[in-house]
Amino acid sequence: MTAYLARRILALIPVLAVVVTIVFLLIHLIPGDPVSVMLGPDATTTQIEATRQALGLDRPIWDQLLTFYGRVLRGDLGQSYFLDRPVTQALWERAEPTMVLTLSALLVAVAIGVPSGIVAGAYPGSIWDRVLMTTALLGVCIPGFWLSLNFIYLFAVRLRWLPAAGYESILVDPLAGLRYMVLPAVSLGFSQSALIARIARSCMVDVLAQDYIRTARAKGLSQAAVIYGHALRNALVPVVTVIGITMAILIGGAVVTEIVFNIPGLGRLVISAILRRDYPVVQGVVLVTATAYVLINLMVDMIYAFIDPRIRYD
Amino acid sequence: MTHWCTLRQLVVTLVALAVVAGTPLPGEAQKKGGIIRVGNLGEPPALDAHWTTASITETLTNHIYEGLYSLGDGYKPIPMLAESLPAVSKDGLVYTFKLRQGVKFHNGKEMTADDVLASLSRWGKQSVYGKALFAQVSEFKVVDTYTVEMKLKEKSAIVVISLAVPNNFGAIYPKEIADKFPPQEKATEYIGTGPYKLAEWKPDQYIRMVRFDDYKSRAEKPSGYGGGKTAWADEIRWIPVPEVATRVAQVETAELDFADDLNLDAFDRLKSSATARPIVSRPYYWLVAVFNKKEGLMTNQKLRQAWQAAIDIEPIMKNVAGGKSEFYRMDSSLAPVEIAAWHTNIPGLPWNERNKDKARKLLQEAGYKGEPIRFITTQEYKWMYDFALLTKQQLEDVGFKIDLQVLDWATLVKRRNNPKEYDAFTTGMGVFYDPTHHIYLTASWPGWTSDEEILARQAALARETDPKKRMELWVQQTRTFYEKVPVIRYGDLFGLRAASKKMRDFNEKTERIRFYNVWLDK
Repeated sequence: MTAYLARRILALIPVLAVVVTIVFLLIHLIPGDPVSVMLGPDATTTQIEATRQALGLDRPIWDQLLTFYGRVLRGDLGQSYFLDRPVTQALWERAEPTMVLTLSALLVAVAIGVPSGIVAGAYPGSIWDRVLMTTALLGVCIPGFWLSLNFIYLFAVRLRWLPAAGYESILVDPLAGLRYMVLPAVSLGFSQSALIARIARSCMVDVLAQDYIRTARAKGLSQAAVIYGHALRNALVPVVTVIGITMAILIGGAVVTEIVFNIPGLGRLVISAILRRDYPVVQGVVLVTATAYVLINLMVDMIYAFIDPRIRYD
Repeated sequence: MTHWCTLRQLVVTLVALAVVAGTPLPGEAQKKGGIIRVGNLGEPPALDAHWTTASITETLTNHIYEGLYSLGDGYKPIPMLAESLPAVSKDGLVYTFKLRQGVKFHNGKEMTADDVLASLSRWGKQSVYGKALFAQVSEFKVVDTYTVEMKLKEKSAIVVISLAVPNNFGAIYPKEIADKFPPQEKATEYIGTGPYKLAEWKPDQYIRMVRFDDYKSRAEKPSGYGGGKTAWADEIRWIPVPEVATRVAQVETAELDFADDLNLDAFDRLKSSATARPIVSRPYYWLVAVFNKKEGLMTNQKLRQAWQAAIDIEPIMKNVAGGKSEFYRMDSSLAPVEIAAWHTNIPGLPWNERNKDKARKLLQEAGYKGEPIRFITTQEYKWMYDFALLTKQQLEDVGFKIDLQVLDWATLVKRRNNPKEYDAFTTGMGVFYDPTHHIYLTASWPGWTSDEEILARQAALARETDPKKRMELWVQQTRTFYEKVPVIRYGDLFGLRAASKKMRDFNEKTERIRFYNVWLDK
C-alpha cells in the first residue's frame, strides 16, 4: 500500500509539469495584454510599451517560461499584476470560500442524489423511479446560472428569506455564513446531484440482479435487510467514484455559481484573472486545482479499499 | 370662542411643525453615520491616480485624493487645494498657485508646496493629461511653503483645466510617497487629503474607505465634483459584483445602497421597486467607430466618408438603448450638451445623412472593390457589439464588405495598438472637458489621427487663451472632423444606475459617481 501510494505521488510530478506548461503557453498565446487593461482606455502606445518592459512581458516566451519553472520549484508562484500581492497569498485568501461552497454543495448533492438513486434503483419502473429520474434529468439540463438567478429572484428579491449574494466566513459568523451559503449550495448541489442519482440507480439495479441477492431473498430476508444489508454497500463503490469526481469538478467548476452569488473564491479569481490577463494568477490557480484534482482521485482509490475489502493495491 | 380659536391655532401650529420636521431642508436634516455600500463592476487596476486612465480608478481615487483644481457645476474649473484660480503674469507665461493652509494629509502631515511639486512632477511624467501639460512647462518650482510657480515655454490654454480633470488626475500625495514610486511604477501607499481615507482593500471582496475626521472642507457649497465636501457616512464600502443581474437584485434587497453600470432592461423593474430607484447616468458615452489611419483600407478618406454617409444612426441608437428614448440622444456635437462651454450646434454637417446613393458614389470614387474591412468589437460591452452588428448590416446594404470580429475586451485593447491587425474598432467616448483632451484627434492614440490640419488646429487650441477665439477654432475643428472623418460619431448613449430610496443628496449630474455630501436617511 505504501509503495503504491509513493508511486502515485511521484506520478503527480510529470502530470503537473505538463499541465503547467500547457496552461502557460495557452494563456500567453491568446492575444490580449495585461498592460492595456491596467493603464486604461486612454493610455498611449508608448506608455503601454514602457510598462510592458517594466513587467518583463517584452521578453521571449521561453525565457518567461523558464523563469516561471524556476520560481515554482522554489514554491514561489510569482506576484499578481493586479492584486499587489504574491499569488500564493491570493490563492490562500480564496481557498476558504471555495472549500466551504464545494463541501456544502457536495453535501446537498449527496443528500439528494444517493437516497433518490437508491429508492429509484430498488423499485425500478415504479412511479417513484420515474419522478426521481425525471427530476435528475432536469437537474442535468437546467443551466446553473439560470437556476441561480431564479433562486435569487424568488428567495431574495420576492420572499426576502435569504440574502441575494455575498459571502461571510463561517469561522467568523457561522449563522450569517450559513445564510449566505444556502442558495449557492442548493443551486450548485442540485445539478450535481443528478449524476450521482443516476449512477446510484443503475448500480442498485445491477446489484439487485446478482445471484447473492436472490439467495438473500430466498433466505426470507425482508426487503429492507436485502437493500441495506447486502445491496447498498456493493452498489456504493462506483458512487464513491462519482462523488470524488463531483468534488473535483466543484473545486474548479464552481465558477458560474461564484460569480452569480458574488463569492470571492478561486473560480471568480481565475475568471477575473483571465479577463485581465493576470498571467501569474491564472497559472497559480490552475496548478493548485490540478493538484487538488489528482489528489482527490488518489483519495477515491484509497477509499475503495475500505468499502470493498476485496480491492488491494499491492 | 377664544378657547376654540386657541385650540385650532395650536393644532395648525403642531401640524405645521410636523410637516417642517418631516421635510429635509437643505443643510439641516443631513444625518451623519451609516455605511454606503456601492456595487460596481470590478476591481481597480490601481489606486494610484497618476498611473492609469481606468474609470474605476478615477471614481475611487477622487474620494481619497484631491488636486489643486476640480470641476464644478457645468464642468468648469474651480479651486480645490489651491486657494483660488492662479495669478497669471502679463505675458501669460508664469502661473502662480497659492495653496490653502492647514490642509492635512491622512497621515496627519500638513500639505505644503513641497508635496505639490513632487506630486505634480510625477504626474507630469505618467498621466495622459500631465504629460500634455508638462510638455509646455519650462520650470516648476516652490516659491514658499504655500506657493508654487509654473513657467511655460509658450502661452497655454490648458494649465488650469489639466489640473482640474478628474481622470488620471494631478492628485496631491505626500512628497515621501511621490518620490518613493517612480512614475511608471504604480504607487501602493495611499495617503491623500480627501474626505475619505482608505482603510482596507480586500481584492474582489471590498474596498473600505472611512471618514477622515481632520478633513478641512472648503467654505463654498458643493458644486459638481468640488466645492465643500462633507463625509456624512462613516464608511463607503465598494463591493465588486461582476454579474450585473446580481447587482440589480442586491440593490432591490437593500444589500447594496447603490449599483453602478446596470443593463438598461432593468429600468422598468427598478421603477417599480419599493427599495431602490433608477438613475439615468448622463453624460455617459458617445458611440464611436475608430478607423486605423496608419495602414490598410481605411487610410482612404473617401471610404471613411462613405461609411459616414451610409449609416442611419437613430435606429442603431434606439436598438442599443433597448428601445427606450430615455437612454439615447441624437447629437452631432463632439462635446455633449452637458459640457455647455464646448457644445456646438452647427447646421448642415454631414452627420446621420442616411444617403445610400452618396455612399455608393463615394465607394466608387474610393476605388473600393469589396475587400473585407476588419471591424473589431467585443461582447463584454453589449452596446458595442449591438452597434457594430447593426452598422455592418447597414454598410453591407450599400456595398461594403465588413468582416466583424468579436474579441474579448483585453484582446481588443491590445490589438487596437497594432496597425496591422484591424481597420476599425468600437469604443465609447466619455466626457472631455477641453477640446485639447479629445484623444481621437491626436496621433498617439490608437487609430492615429495624423491629418496635418486637425493636428495644427489642436496645437492652436492648446496655445490660444482667449475663450472666444478658442470656440471659433473648435467650430472649425468640428467641420474639419466631419470632412476628414478620423472616427465615426454615432449618438449619445446613457447608462443606468440605481440608488436606495434612503440615499439623499446624490449628485445625478456628474459623469462619475461621488459619495461625499451623500447621506443615508434611517
